[in-house]
Amino acid sequence: MIPLSYFLILGAVLFALSVAGIFLNRKNVIILLMCIELMLLAVNINFIAFSHYQGDLAGQVFVFFILTVAAAEAAIGLAILVVLFRNRSTINVQDLDEMKG
Amino acid sequence: MTFQQLVFFLFAAVTTLSALRVITVRNPVHAALFLVLTFFSCAALWMLLEAEFLAIALVLVYVGAVMVLFLFVVMMLDINIARLREGFAGYLPVGALVALIMVSEMVLVIVSGAFDTGAPEPAPATYSNTEALGEVLYTDYVYQFEIAAVILLVAIVAAIALTLRRRTRTKYQNPAQQVSVDRDDRVRLVKMKPEERD
Amino acid sequence: MSFAMPDLIPVMPEIAVLAMACVVLLADLFLKDEQRNVSYYLAQLTLLIGLLLTLNLANEGSRLSFGDSVINDQMATLLKSFIFIVTAIGFVYSRRYLKERGIFKGEYYVLGLFGVLGMMVMVSSYSFLTLYLGLELLSLSQYALVAFNRDSSRASEAAMKYFVLGAIASGMLLYGMSILYGMSGSLDIIEVSNYLIRELDNDVALIFGLSFVIVGLAFKLGAVPFHMWLPDVYQGAPTSVTLYVGTAPKIAAFAIVMRLLVEGLGHLHGDWQGMLIILAVLSLTVGNFIAIAQTNIKRMLAYSTISHVGFLLLGILAGTSQGYAASMFYAIVYALTAAGAFGMILLLANKDFEAEELDDFKGLGERHPWFAFLMLLLMFSMAGVPLTVGFYAKLSVLSAVVRVELYWLAIYAVLMSVVGAYYYLRVIKLMYFDKPLTNQPISQQWDMNLVLSINGLLMLVLFFLPGGLMSLCIKAINF
Repeated sequence: MIPLSYFLILGAVLFALSVAGIFLNRKNVIILLMCIELMLLAVNINFIAFSHYQGDLAGQVFVFFILTVAAAEAAIGLAILVVLFRNRSTINVQDLDEMKG
Repeated sequence: MTFQQLVFFLFAAVTTLSALRVITVRNPVHAALFLVLTFFSCAALWMLLEAEFLAIALVLVYVGAVMVLFLFVVMMLDINIARLREGFAGYLPVGALVALIMVSEMVLVIVSGAFDTGAPEPAPATYSNTEALGEVLYTDYVYQFEIAAVILLVAIVAAIALTLRRRTRTKYQNPAQQVSVDRDDRVRLVKMKPEERD
Repeated sequence: MSFAMPDLIPVMPEIAVLAMACVVLLADLFLKDEQRNVSYYLAQLTLLIGLLLTLNLANEGSRLSFGDSVINDQMATLLKSFIFIVTAIGFVYSRRYLKERGIFKGEYYVLGLFGVLGMMVMVSSYSFLTLYLGLELLSLSQYALVAFNRDSSRASEAAMKYFVLGAIASGMLLYGMSILYGMSGSLDIIEVSNYLIRELDNDVALIFGLSFVIVGLAFKLGAVPFHMWLPDVYQGAPTSVTLYVGTAPKIAAFAIVMRLLVEGLGHLHGDWQGMLIILAVLSLTVGNFIAIAQTNIKRMLAYSTISHVGFLLLGILAGTSQGYAASMFYAIVYALTAAGAFGMILLLANKDFEAEELDDFKGLGERHPWFAFLMLLLMFSMAGVPLTVGFYAKLSVLSAVVRVELYWLAIYAVLMSVVGAYYYLRVIKLMYFDKPLTNQPISQQWDMNLVLSINGLLMLVLFFLPGGLMSLCIKAINF
């Protein structure tokens, strides 16, 4: 039998990887978006593991909604990215410095 | 080590390694493909947790739709990869440090014993995860279900409002006009006087 | 399998707003460009209907529905009413601005109304799931609105930053929620609260989950050190969207802090109080000091927002019902004041002039004394000068902090308000003691002038008669 903590540790590792990815890829917005997806995946693993070990469906329902929202979020995020690219011809975060102060 | 544990470690290893590749590879297309692999092995892990419906949904919705959308956008935009990776090594120590601290803290909390629940009984063979989810989704969670529908509507409206453009230079075909054309529109018979030869 | 029909009465306003938003979306399809005003009036009608239905439920008492995941109580009624009012004011102010920039479109109002729906869901949420969905509905609408002016490269930059940081915040919040769900075994706020009463030993895992929740909330509120997105979004977005983002969502954010921290995790008060103190002190310091250095008034107001968030947190961290009521009063007053201030920027802007630099306010006292006077009232109120309602709001928050014997914190907050007064008064100095840079006439519209005048004078009226609103806030908390 696999203990619950194994799944939670996997979730924690994925979460930390996604945060590290956000630090590492501060320049590339597309990979930033992917890191966000990774972060939500870590959360989902947590919810499903808890849901399974507690015999409670609510966690799975939450994951269902997170998947839905994440899909919508990805669509809007990519739409903004496309608009940004049309205006700037770049997705390099370092070029996004028109506003300072 | 039981078979289940073997499966868990196998897929957990694949998930972690491919997630690591997502954040370190040079090319966004490769990153997207590694993310697909991460999702896929995660779906296998969810199967172990008897969340069959969500496992399938993850593959269908995420791998099938969201990641394809990512790939579309990556390929649509003409990105200068080399410039995007400048200074990557500079961030590496910070990123690795952050990840290490976070993981060690989280693992410490998790193994501290707060989450020791007994292992659940495996569900009987007649149990259908999809049916169970469907039952609560349309009854207990109907309000949230409707809100989720609105969120998807917002995504549609927003994506269209932001990206749809009518290009002035594009040439359109109008099938109705094409079909209703008759001979007079296309051919004009001109009667000319025969020209005098010099 | 049985299905009991849920009680739909508590969510009547939400249903009405959703239905009307869809009507606007459809009706807008059939309108020509010169008939767009119809979409605008329909949107205002929607807000009016929502307001009336909400007030209609005011005397219903506290009522749960949909398996305890939705609540309609006094607090929900009060906050929702002000969300409608503030949004409607914002729509009035921004109509001309949108027209002049060619973004006067039906989608703008549709997204705005869906955002309002998201705020309503947040205010009424009584489970983690409902709260998360409401928050995302609001956030997604806001991301799109910020980028709505597609040809502006600043707006799309701001939207991108807002999106990335907002999504990270949601991820943090969700991770915290997942831990809390794992501990308590339920998503309902009432169940989580009951669990905490049963298991009073302060578990390290609970604190662990709590800190992720706080980080997520701090991101959404814009508290330092999670405020990076706020100045860029305020500056980069079209001013009408800055008005939208900077006003009503603050009321909704206050509501989710109340629902999550106070109603759900109230028994961990000792643990989150310390975290909020750090956030509040940092927000007050950074917000006020950096605002002084700004030359762009939208950016200045963004940093001033950060300092106001610090004040908002002060009332909540006091942990008494007096503090909660004071914070609620503060949030409502702040939303009204900010609406007026951004309204002034919209008023001065015209077709090819944004009026977003501080210098654009020079000599307003000469050009138009009445508007200069209104701006004076709004700035006084933000600074917390006596005779305006901002003074009363700050005073009530501070007295709540003093009551729980955090004297040093109250003194520090007063000092920071004095620093803050400097840059608000600078605007007034520019208006009355400097020569105007242009002599362009200010375009007059009766509806905007009327609402703006009422909005400005409200700062005076509420100071002399704060009792009504304050007693509503106290009633909403104690209910």
